[in-house]
Amino acid sequence: MNLSVVDKRLAVDFCGLELASPLVLLSGCVGFGEEYTRIEAFSNREVGAICLKGTTLAPRLGNPPHRVYETPCGMLNAIGLQNPGAHQVVNEILPQLDFSETRFIANVSGSTVEEYVEVARLFDDSPIDAIEINISCPNVKEGGVAFGNDPDMSARVVEACRAATNKPLITKLSPNQTDIAENARRCIEAGTDGFAVINTLMGMAIDVEQREPIIGNNQGGLSGPAIKPLAVLKTHQVYQVARPHGIPIIGQGGVASAQDALEFLIAGATAVGVGTALFYDPLIVGKINAGLAAYLDRHGLDHISHLTGSLMLHGATSACG
Amino acid sequence: MNSTPHRATIYLEDARILGHESHPGEQRILKLEAPKCAQAARPGSFAHLQCDPLLPMRRPLSIMRVDPEAGWVEFLYKIIGYGTRLLARRRPGENLSLLGPIGRPFAVHADRPRAVLIGGGVGIPPMIFLANHLRRLPGFKPLAILGSEVPFPFIPRPSRILVPGMPDGIIAAMPLLEDWLIPSRLASLQGFPGCHDGYVTDLVVRWLDTLSPRELAEVELFACGPHPMLEAVARLARKYDLPAQVSLEEFMACGVGGCAGCTVAIETADGQAMKRVCVDGPVFDAATVAAFKPA
Ligand SMILES: Cc1cc2nc3c(=O)[nH]c(=O)nc-3n(C[C@H](O)[C@H](O)[C@H](O)COP(=O)(O)O)c2cc1C
Ligand code: FES
Repeated sequence: MNLSVVDKRLAVDFCGLELASPLVLLSGCVGFGEEYTRIEAFSNREVGAICLKGTTLAPRLGNPPHRVYETPCGMLNAIGLQNPGAHQVVNEILPQLDFSETRFIANVSGSTVEEYVEVARLFDDSPIDAIEINISCPNVKEGGVAFGNDPDMSARVVEACRAATNKPLITKLSPNQTDIAENARRCIEAGTDGFAVINTLMGMAIDVEQREPIIGNNQGGLSGPAIKPLAVLKTHQVYQVARPHGIPIIGQGGVASAQDALEFLIAGATAVGVGTALFYDPLIVGKINAGLAAYLDRHGLDHISHLTGSLMLHGATSACG
Repeated sequence: MNSTPHRATIYLEDARILGHESHPGEQRILKLEAPKCAQAARPGSFAHLQCDPLLPMRRPLSIMRVDPEAGWVEFLYKIIGYGTRLLARRRPGENLSLLGPIGRPFAVHADRPRAVLIGGGVGIPPMIFLANHLRRLPGFKPLAILGSEVPFPFIPRPSRILVPGMPDGIIAAMPLLEDWLIPSRLASLQGFPGCHDGYVTDLVVRWLDTLSPRELAEVELFACGPHPMLEAVARLARKYDLPAQVSLEEFMACGVGGCAGCTVAIETADGQAMKRVCVDGPVFDAATVAAFKPA
């Protein structure tokens, strides 16, 4: 494998996978791994891994327009998991990917626990490097509440997928819940190998002239710099629970610079996701890698992994406002 | 029409603003130094621009003119929101990031040399680009019918080229197209002198009705503009049994096919599919656009 484009000090181990860089391209932002390669000077080799678009068992057409909308310092999206179905992804798309360039992670989605399991099983029997479970999908059998908003439902999905695969299993936690740490605890018991923290926050934007939501699906997931402070805190909270078990985290939410990536690492992340920022600067990954290397130089550190969880809290952490 | 997505190289260029002209009706003409984009752009291509460092997202703008030798690309846009308002503040000499060219361009067919270019408002730019391309192709006889509800971003002048079927007094034309010897006529509901008081499609119908069946079989429609205009073009294409290519718009995030944020419903041989305007379009066969299907 030729991983020489990235500074060696940035290589990290994530659930036993060697990643050339801690930077991971996030699910839903880069299609099935090859769309960005049409941009001159873009290279999949600069990233540690790429999470593919959320994949369900049957193909999905996705939501009606509008699917995306810019909001202050971020955007709403409600794509509706448009994807060609797990069989097509495994049989037609994965064979086209160049696994010598980077690691590819499947993003498994479903409406029922059974669907998650079937999709996970299909990816288990494929060259994919790891499986990320997107538990932010609505559970159609239980009133459409997102699995990830409830620790019981989250644990059930993780446990069932765990039984279906021996590949590294990453659970992508939702911020749309009261106690993310409790949810993380339950997912660890259920057998997750890693976490992705966080998925988008649900939001709405309204066209006041028409008095209707701008997003075709009415509500959408908020991403981008607007959610970064919240995502850093959630990463810190999940890290408290995950650290004793040696379970690594892909911190994410609004990363747009080396400074942002460093915040997530220091808060407890082993790897850092980049999604929405690619839309603004498709070549941002090279810049963040360079910024991370410069930080190591400046602080006399021989490896990026020393930063994970290196946060030094102040004494008082109770009151707010 | 070929339906494989656009896979050509897209360039990221730090583009210097060479010109930024104001026109009435909050319209602006923006000229950027972007040599790679200028080389690779085709009629129908667009670029995804960083309007301002304060914005989290880029904005897609259709390309109006390019000069591959001089290395510039030109856009016409209207200030319609926060992004274009910030873009309008940018001054010549400043740089902004351009991602382009993007999209599957218009396809022209030698057996249909009577190309009718129908542009409405900020849908005019791709028609100018296409006109400039067609005038160099032997045998093509393009006709442009342009509409606007704000003053046109050029000073219309009386045409010296006859267009059969035009109502009396409808003589206003776009000077640039006249210089290229391409006939044009203008329409607006705002009562501009020499312009048809009605819709662009009214003028297209009047012209089509002067053609013999053999001539009609040489016609192809190309259109870009507001949704109701494109819908009217699709209706007209059905009525006259003409092929029509329309350039569509939708909000975009990535602009390169990665997010599926910009889709429209398109009829395919395998049923309805959600196609990405950025790389599966922006040009689609009007007959396949689900939103334009007869009720
Ligand atoms: C357009 C878009 C589509 C997304 N689709 C998915 C998806 O299919 N599955 C998933 O787990 N997360 C999806 N996400 C969430 C991202 O993977 C990421 O977790 C989130 O956007 C936060 O990171 P960011 O602020 O860097 O974008 C999507 C995000 C965006 C913006
Ligand atoms: S804008 Fe992302 S796919 Fe078109």
